[in-house]
Amino acid sequence: MLPDFTEITAWMPDLMSGFKISLQVTFFSLLIGIPFGLVLALGVMAKGRVIRAISLFAVEVGRGAPALVLLQFIYVGLPSAGLMVGSFMAAIAALAWNTGAYTSEIIRASLLSIPSGQREAAEALGMKRLDELRFILLPQGLRVALPALLGFSILIFQSTSLCFTIALPELVSRAYEIGSITFRYFPVLLLAGLLYASISIPAALLVDFIEKRAGKFASR
Amino acid sequence: MIASDKTLIRLNGLSKHYGRLTVLDGIDLEVKAGEVLAIIGPSGSGKSTLLRCINYLEPPDGGTITVDDIVIDAGNPIGRAALSGLRRRVGMVFQSFNLFPHMSVLRNISLPQERVLGRSRKEADARSMQLLSRVGLADKAEQFPIRCSGGQQQRIAIARALALDPEVMLFDEPTSALDPELGLEVLAVMRELAKSGMTMIVVTHEMGFAENVSDTVMIMADGNIVEKGPSKEIMRNPQHERTKRFLRAVHDR
Repeated sequence: MLPDFTEITAWMPDLMSGFKISLQVTFFSLLIGIPFGLVLALGVMAKGRVIRAISLFAVEVGRGAPALVLLQFIYVGLPSAGLMVGSFMAAIAALAWNTGAYTSEIIRASLLSIPSGQREAAEALGMKRLDELRFILLPQGLRVALPALLGFSILIFQSTSLCFTIALPELVSRAYEIGSITFRYFPVLLLAGLLYASISIPAALLVDFIEKRAGKFASR
Repeated sequence: MIASDKTLIRLNGLSKHYGRLTVLDGIDLEVKAGEVLAIIGPSGSGKSTLLRCINYLEPPDGGTITVDDIVIDAGNPIGRAALSGLRRRVGMVFQSFNLFPHMSVLRNISLPQERVLGRSRKEADARSMQLLSRVGLADKAEQFPIRCSGGQQQRIAIARALALDPEVMLFDEPTSALDPELGLEVLAVMRELAKSGMTMIVVTHEMGFAENVSDTVMIMADGNIVEKGPSKEIMRNPQHERTKRFLRAVHDR
């Protein structure tokens, strides 16, 4: 059942190139998705009705639809509307949307966790709303949100495996490819799983560590 | 000891409702430059709401507010210029201090100066240190607020408000969250501030402060002014039945 040494050396180059694509998709999805989440969070909290409605729609669709459906929707749906997207771009767009929708709720909740007295103080001091956000709410809110954001980032990394459904040559696709040639599905998927774990487990430990340190300024 | 005859704050028919509940029932009030006005009265009488309406933390829904040369008609939506003008002239100190916990004491006082008045960091820090010395906390500049006692935090909050050079300071029960000893050090700072000629409106349950430091005392009940006059007269010889009842209740404690 286990892959032997020659198999590992034979499969590794393909698996590693898939692994690299998984990491790239994760990186860009988060790079775009988390700032998008901040924008959506502010949009949902905005006073203007139109902005709020648009933001809410983007959040509800992004959270409501499974990542798999978003992927298909963008990869298959958009070309039929005349907009061609490659599988790499489609993967990033779908996962960034998913990330934005979920992280907007994480960010919104952490901004709301800042005691309202601080906002009143900033207001009474005559600080502009943007300054209040930049200097008072965001520095504290993001510190609160950080562990949850990192935790979600691990989930997105794992979600990149769904991209095999849109023919993106990421880790799971490459493993399947090897499996379909060698019929050694279990050993090659086991290897792929170990590669996911090599990132996810240390990252989860890092989240625990950061969680313990976050908000240290607020304790004696 | 009112320094001048110039009226700094004038409220005309200021009203505020929460749904069908009337919180402020058309308040008329004048405060002269340099005057220290203490507002006392039972909970729910509208004292804090009145204070919060003056700097628009709660928008009133009727009447006018005049502070210095700023005139605001509460019937209309407030303009951006009027609001920032109002906030420039009015400083506020809260019951719960509301310092920013992620910044040092010095940053707490300097940041608003930089953002609101456009002072350079150097200018702002110099002013902050001067005010920290004035409230006796120069040695706390680099600490985080959590390392300071409640009384110290409130003195820092006073310094933060003063750093913006307001014309009037509002105090919303500044000692209510403090034990009597810590309250005393805050009251000492407020007494010094009053002596320096600052115009102050203080919502308080400290009867000693109302009688001995303030020039004028105003008693509120049910969104109305029950009685207002020179502090010694009101505190020692109240005319109104509602005032007598309230002061008796305070003294019987």
